[in-house]
Amino acid sequence: MKINLDELSDLLLGVEKPSRYTGGEFGAPAPEEKKFNFCMCFPDVYEVGMSNLGIKIVAESFLKRGHGADFCFTPWKDFGEGIKARGVPLYSLGLKKPLGEFDMLGFSMQFELSYTNMLYMLDLAGIPLTRRERAGGNYPVIAIGGPCTVNPEPLSDFVDIVFIGDGESVDADVADIYLKHGGATEEFYKEIIKLDGVYVPALGNKVKKALVPDLDGAIFPERITVPNCESVHDRAVIEVMRGCYRGCRFCQAGFIYRPVRARSVQTLTRQACSLIKNTGYNEVSLNSLSTGDYPNLRQLIKSLKSELPEGVTLALPSLRVDSFDGDFAQDARKTSLTFAPEAGSQRLRDVINKDVTEEEILRAAESAFDIGYSAVKLYFMLGLPTETDDDLLGIGQICALIKSVYKKKKRSKPLRISVSCSTFIPKPFTPFQWERQASDGEITAKQKALIEGLKGKGVTLNWSDNFTAMLEAVLARGDKKVCKAVRLAYLNGCKFDGWGKELNREGWLEAFRQAGVSPEDYTRERDESEVLPWDYIDVGVTKKFLLAERKRAYAGKVTGSCLSSCKGCGLQSDCPAAGGEK
Amino acid sequence: MIAFRYTKTDGAEYLSHLDLLRHIERTLRRAGIKVNLSEGFHPHPKIFLNNPLGLGIKSIAEYGAIDCEADDFQSLFNANSPAGVKCLGFKALDINPNYANTIETCLYSAEGINEFSVEEFLGRKELVIVDKRGRTADVRGRIYGLENRGGKLFFTLGCGTDNLRPDLFCEILEGEFGGKARGLIKLEAHGEHTF
Repeated sequence: MKINLDELSDLLLGVEKPSRYTGGEFGAPAPEEKKFNFCMCFPDVYEVGMSNLGIKIVAESFLKRGHGADFCFTPWKDFGEGIKARGVPLYSLGLKKPLGEFDMLGFSMQFELSYTNMLYMLDLAGIPLTRRERAGGNYPVIAIGGPCTVNPEPLSDFVDIVFIGDGESVDADVADIYLKHGGATEEFYKEIIKLDGVYVPALGNKVKKALVPDLDGAIFPERITVPNCESVHDRAVIEVMRGCYRGCRFCQAGFIYRPVRARSVQTLTRQACSLIKNTGYNEVSLNSLSTGDYPNLRQLIKSLKSELPEGVTLALPSLRVDSFDGDFAQDARKTSLTFAPEAGSQRLRDVINKDVTEEEILRAAESAFDIGYSAVKLYFMLGLPTETDDDLLGIGQICALIKSVYKKKKRSKPLRISVSCSTFIPKPFTPFQWERQASDGEITAKQKALIEGLKGKGVTLNWSDNFTAMLEAVLARGDKKVCKAVRLAYLNGCKFDGWGKELNREGWLEAFRQAGVSPEDYTRERDESEVLPWDYIDVGVTKKFLLAERKRAYAGKVTGSCLSSCKGCGLQSDCPAAGGEK
Repeated sequence: MIAFRYTKTDGAEYLSHLDLLRHIERTLRRAGIKVNLSEGFHPHPKIFLNNPLGLGIKSIAEYGAIDCEADDFQSLFNANSPAGVKCLGFKALDINPNYANTIETCLYSAEGINEFSVEEFLGRKELVIVDKRGRTADVRGRIYGLENRGGKLFFTLGCGTDNLRPDLFCEILEGEFGGKARGLIKLEAHGEHTF
């Protein structure tokens, strides 16, 4: 079956941004049916999903092996309700094929607040939400991947396959095995769990994350879909490194993407040039968890500047807005700098192992001010372990210091400082995975103290919603029981939970009651001896290391970057920086 | 200056005018066609399109002009453009054809309106409508032609200063005669520099 857009024209004309639903983008995979057809599903709207590099890498890995790959994003409610009312199933953008007719749907789970959107998409596609309801029926294999799958328990009732770790090769291996067995048979599932990074909830296998040892030779899409309407990050993106040397103790990405693997200057230059040629973008963004740590950054920028066509600009991290050989690295018309000190005092930054000093920030800010920057964004976290009001006062002090740096010279524009404070959320596979999350009352008190401290300083302050933060914490460290709550929440009308205004608080609270889930059981401190719901997953970093890091946090000891010396996280034998030492 | 005629079909009829302009800019960049930039503080490529077409209306008669040179413009453009934005023809001009101001009327077609007497309709002296903002207007003078060929309506409406939106025109007919317009498409644009 193929959905005919002309029959949806009335609906398309009545919704916001209809070009989200029409496909036909330049660079999109050719809409061709293959023996195995995969649909990459993203549980958020088109403009958000189209900015994601991971889904393009995954789609490319299927295409490279001769399989079909298509895309689908969460329709905004206007379109979603519209197709539901008309009895039209959710369809893919390229083939315009109902999702239910694919061999496999892969959902990219980037953050916890998109879980209900996955259910929304399944529901709109007419696919039963749970594995049990789908049993015996003719439905696609439902798979998930992405960072959230390091704890797939809150999604385990809904999915057939969980991909953990780097998806570049494993996903397509699974497709080959599917074809060999003629479908998702029992033998198929028994065979795929032999692969690294494949967890099948129905079999409950132990699993080790998939790891691409050589990022330089890894699959990278040098031709990508150029979205119909402007996406959140509408530019060419190259992945400079995967993993991060820093090991900030709250940061899940900093642990689950280890070890750090970098692409070569030569490969990155080639990829950037192909992307620019194939997309028509005029900006290249250097992506990684910490691009400033890329060992050959200076050479990379030099190489990109000489090889990229004239007029193409580079987007660089704020801490490295410095000049290389007297030539400013950042050449996009930027006005705003962004720093993430995360904590207001050096003491607390030591606790979280955030290796950024005030001096570094002030130095970077000053050189940027000198070339005309006039706005600074600062990111902090509230509710970090051991945090006191003194740490919060430090936030105001940093703002004051930045101001005094700006005032050193006469500048034409007034300085704008904005401070964003998000609530700390303990995440699996971090040294803080055992920590409690501060309660609603505590967070509110901290926010008040902060507002008080920043009063009259000419600083714009934003903070995250407490309920949203609690929800994210429950889902992040959830177990199978939470799975029931996610389903009930969706049935109660919850979706787009990460969209602020869309959050349906009552729907979630009711779902927790119905499922017998008490959120406090999930935001509480975990005992170090407790078996954690995600313990059966091996991401390479040992629990021993995480525990040791937790102890160092409480002792206020900085561990520092992997570049200074190997810290023995457990991935030494796979780590280029550790030189493969045991 | 290259003047070109292009389509908005196959889903591209849902691209907003701003997005369309962005896609044409990117198409030219991908094609390696160098476009001269405007002068001024924020230089931008000199691309001039005809007046925006209402969202959802298909067209095989969109016109644009680009300050560039390319002998094989059509093939380069089409190899690098999104699915429904395809060049149908082009010619080199010495002047800017200024399509936004020089296109005077456009021919459209649609099906699905209940049968009615075209003669009687065209014989009317006035056709007063109330627009979305509650203002009344006589649009009879903006209707330049109307024909029924085998159940399909072909109509020519004013464009630019005496513009009448074809979807609005269909709504007027639907309101009076019943039925539901389908397959609305712009077939031709008439002006000094169209081809």
